Amino acid sequence: MKIDELRILLSECFFYRAFEDEISRLAQRGETPGLVHLSRGAEVFEAALMTALDLSVDHMTGSHRSHVLALASGADPVAVAGEILGRNCGLSGGVAGTQHLLSYDTGFLCSNGIVGAQVPIAAGAALSAKINKTGGIGVAVMGDGATNQGAVLETMNMAVSLDLPLFFIVENNGFAQSTTTSNAGGAVSVVARARGFGLVADQTDGSEVRAFYPVLMRLIDYVRSQQKPAFLEVSVPRLGGHYEGDGEIYRTQTPLIDPLDLLSDLADQAEIEGISDIQSMAEHKALSAIQTALKSPKAEPNAKS
Amino acid sequence: MKSQINSQISESLSIANALNQAMHQIMQSDPSVIMIGEDLIGENLATGAELGGVFGVSHGLAKAFGRNRVIETPISETAFVGMGIGAAMTGLKPIVEIMFCDFMAVCFDQIINQAAKIRALSGATPDKQIPMPLVIRTTIGAGDGSGAMHSQSLHGLLMQIPGLVIACPSNAGDAAGLLKAAVASEDVVILMEHKGLYETRFPVEASLPIVPLGKGTLVQKGHDITIIALSAMIPLAISAAEALKAEGYTMDVIDPRTVSPLDMDMILNSLHKTGRLIVVDEGAAIAGFADHVIAEVSSRAFDALKCAPRKITPPHCLVPYAPALEAAYLPTQANIIQTVKGMIHES
Repeated sequence: MKIDELRILLSECFFYRAFEDEISRLAQRGETPGLVHLSRGAEVFEAALMTALDLSVDHMTGSHRSHVLALASGADPVAVAGEILGRNCGLSGGVAGTQHLLSYDTGFLCSNGIVGAQVPIAAGAALSAKINKTGGIGVAVMGDGATNQGAVLETMNMAVSLDLPLFFIVENNGFAQSTTTSNAGGAVSVVARARGFGLVADQTDGSEVRAFYPVLMRLIDYVRSQQKPAFLEVSVPRLGGHYEGDGEIYRTQTPLIDPLDLLSDLADQAEIEGISDIQSMAEHKALSAIQTALKSPKAEPNAKS
Repeated sequence: MKSQINSQISESLSIANALNQAMHQIMQSDPSVIMIGEDLIGENLATGAELGGVFGVSHGLAKAFGRNRVIETPISETAFVGMGIGAAMTGLKPIVEIMFCDFMAVCFDQIINQAAKIRALSGATPDKQIPMPLVIRTTIGAGDGSGAMHSQSLHGLLMQIPGLVIACPSNAGDAAGLLKAAVASEDVVILMEHKGLYETRFPVEASLPIVPLGKGTLVQKGHDITIIALSAMIPLAISAAEALKAEGYTMDVIDPRTVSPLDMDMILNSLHKTGRLIVVDEGAAIAGFADHVIAEVSSRAFDALKCAPRKITPPHCLVPYAPALEAAYLPTQANIIQTVKGMIHES
């Protein structure tokens, strides 16, 4: 990754963190209609993922925890914030909400309220790319909890049997809500299961861009050039509860490493200047987008939006 | 048959044949149409002979249009229905086949949470929503000894879910015409074909013209009673109406064709004329299509009713297997005749 790319990545990640932090504050004040699932901890991986994709032809689906994926796909931050806040300016005018973000125009097909349900939908995007020879791929982003869903296991087999250009990404944050991955996952690791289906599969540290980026690029290139599916498991911390306000009684006191700190250190080592300015500009941009969304009327029956 | 019986009739086709012909026409005229499902090809690798779907509906399509467009899947309904949704969102018009509607139970999430909701979730008003040109074809119906898990008629269950258009054709022309309308629609359409009607031949217009979704058809015209029936209950209602005609009773027999949206205008117009309603349906005995029609009519045209509306459905139990048990489960011509006479005598 070049210095300029690193600087942009850092700026984006500060922006996403500030966005989620502000949503968190608003949730605590009761400004979100329901519970919100925040992406804190996955920003670095998700921002880097978008730089590795070509969203003019690629299509992605995400889980219930997809605020940052929608933003990183290029969706208007005001519209993303508006949707999370149930406002007229939202991506879907407030009818869909935090778990159902659809940004069709930027290649983010949907996030999902049902664990794993987004995965076969991404297979459809892969099928379209294959049939219409667009050069694109389908990308299914899910959490580790989804790997125990039939929808996901069926799709892994089907993608191999139909030769779909589909990239499965599991963000393993150690928890399916409150159940630990190790308790839920049986005897075989997630990546071993994927290999059992015949998928080209790898596993890496999603906190450390230098670790995951080459793996990410290699697998995306494989899916695109070979028109075959691949699978990547990345470990990312969940820096917070399952939802905002979760007491996390189940969490042991293991200190978590923040991938954003690692990225900042990396930028420091690369002698990128003005990191604090980059951060404050990103924070200002995030707060300003959310402030704009808050000025939009709350969605009402028959409201003119 | 019915309203389609006119000078343009030039062929007699089964529902399976009509759907197969319509599929050829549709795939020929629109390269974005694909088929997805189990056993769509079923090729004998030694002889090249093919099954073409368990009811023959997809016969010859893979040879004509290639395996890129006729996609034979693993037995993974959740995965391939979801794949149809994603394909419909990205430029294709998939026709997904679920062999029996009973199998929808294993992919209900993709049908009721994903297919039915994504379009409406994409925007607060229809003009802001993305199209979802997905068609799901499936079969319904008892009568062939297939037992409890291959014989249900679940249209009433599906019609409770907003975001799904549900059609249940009773003849070959409607099956082909509704399929064409379904492929042209930007909404998710589920076409539910009765297994017991597949091999019956029906007169059709050779061009297999499009049949609008949401519009019923008056199959028989009369004065005494309005019978609402669907799918395989239409031939049954017609035979009952013919038998009753000899005794001096005439009836409107309405085939709504589409269950959701339902052509209530046609039903209410008839009710205002006859004042008596019978719904004959192979679906649920409780909270299904029949109860819905009766509730709508009772609340919107109570004054027009001369007596309590009746429903003729199977009992609230599973579809049994042994022939005598299955026959006792299904509505009969005698049930309809008896009900008609009872209603006329009481009012």
